[in-house]
Amino acid sequence: MTNSHRKTVLGRLLCAATLGAGALGALGTTGAMAQEIDIWTLNFSSEKANNALNAIAQEFEEANPGVDIIWTQRGVDELKTALRVSAGTDSGPDIFFSWAGLGLGGEYVAAGMSQPLDSYYDSYKWDDTLLPTAAAFASSYGDGHKHGVPFTFKGEAVYYNKALFEKAGITEEPTTYDALVAAAQALKDAGIPAFAFGGSVNWHVMRLMDVLLETECGAQTHDALVAMEANWSETPCATEAFAQMQMWGENYFLKPFMGIDQPQSFNLFVAGRAAMMLEGNWLVQQLNEVSDLDNYGLFAFPTGTDRLYGFAEYHYISAGADDPDMAAKFLDYFNSTDVQQRYLGAMTTNSVNADVVYENQLPLETEWNALFAQYDAMFVNGDQGFPASVTAEYFRVINQTATGDMTPQDAADALQSYIDNLG
Amino acid sequence: MTRLFDRMANAPWLFLAPALAVYAVFAIWPMIDVTLVSFQRWNGIDPTRDFVGLANYTYIFTQDPVFWTAFRNTLIWTALSLVFPPLAGLLLALALNQPLFGRATLRAVFYLPVIIAPIAVATMWRWMYDPFFGLFAQLLTNLGIGIPDFLGDPDLALYSVFIAYFWQQVGFSMVLFLAGLQSVDASLVEASQIDGAGRWNRFKHVTLPAITPTMTIVLVLSLIQSLKAFDIVYGLTGGGPSQSTQMLALWAFSQSMQVFDFGRGGAISVVLLVITVGVVIPYLRWSQRREEQLK
Repeated sequence: MTNSHRKTVLGRLLCAATLGAGALGALGTTGAMAQEIDIWTLNFSSEKANNALNAIAQEFEEANPGVDIIWTQRGVDELKTALRVSAGTDSGPDIFFSWAGLGLGGEYVAAGMSQPLDSYYDSYKWDDTLLPTAAAFASSYGDGHKHGVPFTFKGEAVYYNKALFEKAGITEEPTTYDALVAAAQALKDAGIPAFAFGGSVNWHVMRLMDVLLETECGAQTHDALVAMEANWSETPCATEAFAQMQMWGENYFLKPFMGIDQPQSFNLFVAGRAAMMLEGNWLVQQLNEVSDLDNYGLFAFPTGTDRLYGFAEYHYISAGADDPDMAAKFLDYFNSTDVQQRYLGAMTTNSVNADVVYENQLPLETEWNALFAQYDAMFVNGDQGFPASVTAEYFRVINQTATGDMTPQDAADALQSYIDNLG
Repeated sequence: MTRLFDRMANAPWLFLAPALAVYAVFAIWPMIDVTLVSFQRWNGIDPTRDFVGLANYTYIFTQDPVFWTAFRNTLIWTALSLVFPPLAGLLLALALNQPLFGRATLRAVFYLPVIIAPIAVATMWRWMYDPFFGLFAQLLTNLGIGIPDFLGDPDLALYSVFIAYFWQQVGFSMVLFLAGLQSVDASLVEASQIDGAGRWNRFKHVTLPAITPTMTIVLVLSLIQSLKAFDIVYGLTGGGPSQSTQMLALWAFSQSMQVFDFGRGGAISVVLLVITVGVVIPYLRWSQRREEQLK
């Protein structure tokens, strides 16, 4: 064998070996490649909530070798945008977070982005384990199918600073709207702003408008207004709700409020700069991380109706999910009694699982459970009831009314005019 | 030989092709697509888009409660952008063109904000504007002056955002003017000084004519940049309070990516595109003519 021939043979052998190793490596990689379940959800303010998500994912991965749960967390607007951008492509998630109901989650269902889950509801018997009020939204999308699985079930109520109430001479939690206004006036007389709101994120001030509409209009008319079946201009209680909004903005808000956001308003509330906040049950954990919960009390905004203000958040399985069976298996694990019991309080004070036992709870969590037990029905936030475009106009007129830049009648007229022009 | 000649003739196109392809995909096609979308109704997720003719344009011009606020704000913003950053940039350039101690460092310091991402600038200024804990609130409190809601007062918010934009942009104008000042003939300045011209006259009759082309470039670029103003407004106010700081670029984005009405968002984008093209084309013609004159 000549030298050059030897070189050629050696070269060929090396090439073959390299190719073989590459092929084996590729096969090995393919064999070991994890099955990814990509879940798009929100950033959570509480560190405990974020840790819980990761821990649950890790447990599931250990129980299901070869599965990799990937949480992709975004801000509210960023998540909405990402879902739109991914619609119709194969770059979307396997599971995505959205709110329940026709407003926000309903758009994705209507666009075919969510996979019907009827078979999983049957096979995993979710209807037997989930809270009926939380699970009821799954059947509300009008196509005869069930979409999404409850993630959380949240209520919103008034948190108050006990020391500031005492300083203002308020001895009882307000149980009527008039009593609440009187309490706000007593606080003002004592030099204490009643409410802290962050106006730069429009949805925060909106909460007050939502409960004022429920107070002034009652459940039926409020629902008709949000469903755009009643005329805002011609419904006197709508104008009155805007008038009340203006009254609160002018007299009882910690000012300035339009230039700050919700986290800043929370900091100011914790610092004792305002007596009340209209917040959800998720705030308990945040409060507990930065303050002593014994300093705070809680009561439902006294709307005079028998409905609690709140909403449900869902996990939807994407229509284009690579492995919907595995995605459903993960959601079943996530909402299982064992997991929900162990991580109770990490994401919210209450669980969507009906079998969870509430023990050793924080005082405010107990109060929340009492509120959930007290109400059978709920009314949802305006931005979840309206289509997105109407929500933007709803925000604008609320803000202008709260700052005194628009009269209540003009606000009602502007909103109705916008609705009329929807086309 | 003919084949070689042909190859030579096609060579520029061959070299241009990658750039043209990128430009077509990322610049030309989006412009065409946004124009098409502006005649359609589409929420971004439905597989079908309905053709609605001029309905989106009719809506934004006659019924949209925010479009004209955004339009007016864009005009105000553009006018402010054409006056203040270039003027301050010119003054800084004149000062830093003098033989000062630490001149290079000062130039870098004034230019530094230009290289910071606008969204980071917005975050920084947001902290400073905070009405409770911000820098300005502390300063004004120490001076015994009431604290305005810089970003929450609808009458003040646009100008508060513009100050942050000004802070970031002034270095850009300064660098261009500094470059222009290097073309001023030192012998002419010296001659005018010998002839008894004062500081103002030297500037007016020697420096200013020499930097006129630079000034045109600064103004045109400032104009284009101001029409594109988006991230700093988004980061500081998001268009609020009550849409009082909305700009055309931001409102187009809001309509498309937050309200999810891509048709109306597209129509607003086309209006902005027409305004921008109306400015850019005369600029390109002017610069082309100037290049030909220089040849």
